[in-house]
Amino acid sequence: MFPTSRMISSALKTLISPQNHQLVRRAPVSGTAKGKAKLKSGQPLKRSTVRTKKAPSGDAPRGGRSRNEAIERVNRMVDSCLNAPTPVRYLTAKERLREAEREKLGLISKDRQREIDEAKARAKSGKGAAEGPVIMGTPGLDYITLGLVDKDAIPKYELTVEDGRRLAKEYSRFLMRRHRARQAAETTLLNLKKEAIAALPDHLRKAAMVPDFTPFPANRFMATLTPPIEGYIDKVREAAKQFAGKEKLR
Amino acid sequence: MRRSAAQYLVQPLLRSRRFSSSADAGVGGSSNSSSEKIVAAVLFERLPVVIPKIEPIVYAFQEFSFRWRQQYRRKYPDEVLGKGDARGKGDYKIDYVPAPRITEADKTNDKRSLQRALDRRLYLLLYGSTYGASDDNAVWHFPEKVYENEETLRLCAESALKSVIGGLNHTYFVGNAPMAHMVVEPKEDSQKPPSLKRFFFKSQVIGTSNLHIGKCKDFVWVTKDELMEYFPEQASFFNKMIIS
Repeated sequence: MFPTSRMISSALKTLISPQNHQLVRRAPVSGTAKGKAKLKSGQPLKRSTVRTKKAPSGDAPRGGRSRNEAIERVNRMVDSCLNAPTPVRYLTAKERLREAEREKLGLISKDRQREIDEAKARAKSGKGAAEGPVIMGTPGLDYITLGLVDKDAIPKYELTVEDGRRLAKEYSRFLMRRHRARQAAETTLLNLKKEAIAALPDHLRKAAMVPDFTPFPANRFMATLTPPIEGYIDKVREAAKQFAGKEKLR
Repeated sequence: MRRSAAQYLVQPLLRSRRFSSSADAGVGGSSNSSSEKIVAAVLFERLPVVIPKIEPIVYAFQEFSFRWRQQYRRKYPDEVLGKGDARGKGDYKIDYVPAPRITEADKTNDKRSLQRALDRRLYLLLYGSTYGASDDNAVWHFPEKVYENEETLRLCAESALKSVIGGLNHTYFVGNAPMAHMVVEPKEDSQKPPSLKRFFFKSQVIGTSNLHIGKCKDFVWVTKDELMEYFPEQASFFNKMIIS
């Protein structure tokens, strides 16, 4: 019989051959291995200390507070984004029925309450004031202020489905008419070109029929919203050079 | 490939209706190049610099759809949305005042300047003596040159434009083939040539906003409507040739 583990001192444990070491691990009383080889009695268990990251209290309380505030603000922003309201609530038919029934019972949900309040506020204040044309796009660079559209010539409409359909029909009719006119004009252009080529004398016609594969010029100017400002590109280049200079200093 | 293209050209011509004045002269094609003169003219155009005006109905529909969609969009608070502006703009982005779309040239109606009708195409017209007219009267005409023995008609047109502008750096000729042709019938005057075929080549202004035009008494940059006024008798032809 081998001597029990309790009898063997820790210094001698390393001298024991691996074969014996396996047997030594078995608990003497219960006969099962209970990991006694690694633990020594009396040693504190490693998992008992819970280390948490506390904000160092050595900092002035000012610093800690601003950090809290920043965290608070971020949380507030996130919440307001997640619960952001829409001007008109989107409800399916089933939801609408349910809302109506709940109102009969007297239960009003938060969203519905908000809708009612908004409607009341609008009825009180907004009866006189009309909304005016909504600005689409960046202010200052939208179509109306730039003079691309006559403000007065825009037809009046409400935000209803029927009005939307009427507007859509007129829009489509107008654009289709323009498209067809453009197609017709392009066909006449092509026909004129064909005739011109046919009217050329033979040797010139052969030269004209050769397709021209030279690439398009790279600096062709694309039509933009406003014309280019004189001298602006030079300013931009100068400022860019200065900016690049700053980068190199670092 | 070439043969099929030639067949494609000839067949419609054989059964074509006469929708331009050149039909009878055009059918012959290869014959009698000695008695008629061929002139290469250039339709030199400046493309629009600014996008064209928008119709009210189009804008109304776009606005309607925008507002309709906005109804179902979440309203985010401004402090969240404003973050984009707060990020410091680099020094190289200077705030600018957008240039007006109606320039001074529009107000003074200065036809010689290229800044005039920025949302339309402008075409170059010269005032001087041409081959078709007699040398005494100056007429309004496109830059043109009589064809001598060059390689192709496009080279002839390019040299015509070069003589007017001084160089071909700022031009782009669209394709090797002419875009339209016009036959000038001879009048009773004995000086005039038997008949004159004018082939138009299309070329565009690239990369510059003012050009020096020489070798003529006067020049204008005109839009399509004004072009019609300069050529009252050929208005329908130019209506077809120029789209806008």
